[in-house]
Amino acid sequence: MLSTLQTPRSSLSRFTLPSTITTLASNSQSTLTTTQSPTTSPPQSQILSIRHSLLTRNLSAVDLARSYLTRLRLTEPHLRSFLHIPDDQTIISQANDLDRRIAAGKDVGPLAGVLVAVKDNICTADMPSTGGSRILQNYRPPFDATAVKKLKELGGIVVGKTNMDEFGMGSTTEASAFQVTANPWDVSRVPGGSSGGSAAAVSARQCVVSLGSDTGGSVRQPASFCGVVGLKPTYGRVSRFGLMAYASSLDAIGCFGSSVADTGILLHAIAGHDRFDATSSKQEVPNFLSHFDSASSLESKPLKGLRVGLIRETIEDGVDAGVVSAIRAAASHFEELGCSVNEVSLPSFSLGLPAYYVLALSESSSNLSRYDGIRYGNQVHADELDSLYGDSRAKGLGSEVKMRILMGTYALSAGYYDAYYKRAQQVRTIIRNSFKEALDQYDILISPAAPSVAYKIGEKKNDPLAMYAGDIMTVNVNLAGLPALVLPCGFVDSEPAGLPVGLQMIGAAFDEGELLRVGHIFEQTLENCRFVPPLVADSVE
Amino acid sequence: MSSKVLFRGTPLTTLWNPKIQHKLLQFRRLSSKTTNCCSLQPPNVSHLAKTAHISLTPTEVEEFGPKIQQVIGWFGQLQGVDLQRIEPSIRADTENNLRDNTPETFDQRDAIIASVPSYEEPYIKVPKVLNVD
Repeated sequence: MLSTLQTPRSSLSRFTLPSTITTLASNSQSTLTTTQSPTTSPPQSQILSIRHSLLTRNLSAVDLARSYLTRLRLTEPHLRSFLHIPDDQTIISQANDLDRRIAAGKDVGPLAGVLVAVKDNICTADMPSTGGSRILQNYRPPFDATAVKKLKELGGIVVGKTNMDEFGMGSTTEASAFQVTANPWDVSRVPGGSSGGSAAAVSARQCVVSLGSDTGGSVRQPASFCGVVGLKPTYGRVSRFGLMAYASSLDAIGCFGSSVADTGILLHAIAGHDRFDATSSKQEVPNFLSHFDSASSLESKPLKGLRVGLIRETIEDGVDAGVVSAIRAAASHFEELGCSVNEVSLPSFSLGLPAYYVLALSESSSNLSRYDGIRYGNQVHADELDSLYGDSRAKGLGSEVKMRILMGTYALSAGYYDAYYKRAQQVRTIIRNSFKEALDQYDILISPAAPSVAYKIGEKKNDPLAMYAGDIMTVNVNLAGLPALVLPCGFVDSEPAGLPVGLQMIGAAFDEGELLRVGHIFEQTLENCRFVPPLVADSVE
Repeated sequence: MSSKVLFRGTPLTTLWNPKIQHKLLQFRRLSSKTTNCCSLQPPNVSHLAKTAHISLTPTEVEEFGPKIQQVIGWFGQLQGVDLQRIEPSIRADTENNLRDNTPETFDQRDAIIASVPSYEEPYIKVPKVLNVD
């Protein structure tokens, strides 16, 4: 169906895995549910097949955890997705508790046995949470973020904290104070950011699903670069309590999975009102998967009547030809599924980028003032208070963070507020309204998630504007507070195995259910596109 | 304007995508035009650093200056837009979900205190405040 797309080469990259991984493959295939041929079939929900295997006693939670941990430890020196991984024993003992519950016939939650990686700006009480910054190196929060608390209550096991650009400020993980994560498709390339570690971890099957955060595209762009599914929910759908704030009017916790279904199950687990977050919505959380149709039961035009709008400004000059071609092929796929696809223009689309940066930098300059070395974080000794603040922040914060704080400080200064911050808020109103109008005419809007595929590590030199330009596809969605799902839809030719391209689907506020339903059908009917990086292809089904 | 003025401090070779260069050229020309018709002072990095309580080294002041100038100049295109009668949005639509204003005791007080770098019960210790203007 997608004949114009490059299919990935099935051979391994130049990096060859030790034989233990192939042994792992033959062991796990006999125990994990595998009913389909590995190379061309659409992704199955790992969460559901894990649940099935555990409840039918085909597999123990301990064996499952061990197999993921083995793959994690083998790939991690090459990927560096994680900033913190607890002892194996911590994870095994949680898996053991679960096995005992199952053996005793007790109920287990929908995330039972599922290994979840958590971005390091989401607080976990029993693991360090650094936000990717030296100022919080070794910091242990006194509480779990609400999203973490919820996923643990439902049986999820946190397998580690993932690498990120410092405080969310970046799109490659190169701005992490600690390490740069590699893209599992090509370890000389970035995984995207700022949730690069979370995307890479799912892509390399180091974990089942992961949590990230998205302020201007930080879940969706890495999902595109790493060939995984990424979802940014509606602003207010998931509590931000425990998420280190970057820009409070734009931040959202988002989900990564290797399938749309898994992403939806994770979202359902963490969504809902939280009294500790006054911006979290009281709107009911529907059971997203109840509207999922299984691939075998789909009619020939399962999305008949769905009106899809392809945002014209996102396929114009400045977008890689390979990306445009993949998106156009995705549009054709939608048409084959029965949709009507038309190009739609969003007025003021390009204004969203400077407006976003004014708002994000201004809000972050305020939010990051709490990192002063007094009540937590790393303190630099000084004889008087101003120097203590100044030196602790100078030593603990990275260059990109410092620059953004300074620019935000400028934009909020007396005399400049009206010229910058207020005008940016007015542009936000325009963008919100233009999306509302477009979503009256169309059920979903589609676009690329990024203007290119993953860059080489180090390729983006010190030109902030060039870096910011890469966010053009994603920031308007944050300004409008809408939900968006990114799923891999094709490849661009590149050694060793091609690089994935993600399709972004944008929906109306709180319409995640529809995005997931449509995304699931798109994914299950996409032929000849298998999104498992060669690095781990031999060890997964 | 000569290309030297437009691209001061920004070697073109560092731009990552030739097509993006074209778009950025448009951004930069637009931002140069709009900041010329505004009376806003350009950013004073040292002053901003004092306000933001970050002790910058002289090297950092020199390095950050042109980059910050570039970005603030780019922000200038917001001034060229007609925004009369447009209400500013603080955030996307959200409900007002304030909880009751009743205090609750946080149950992990010890963990909070364990994170304080310099603590002497019951004080968080800080050095003296020097009175400077």
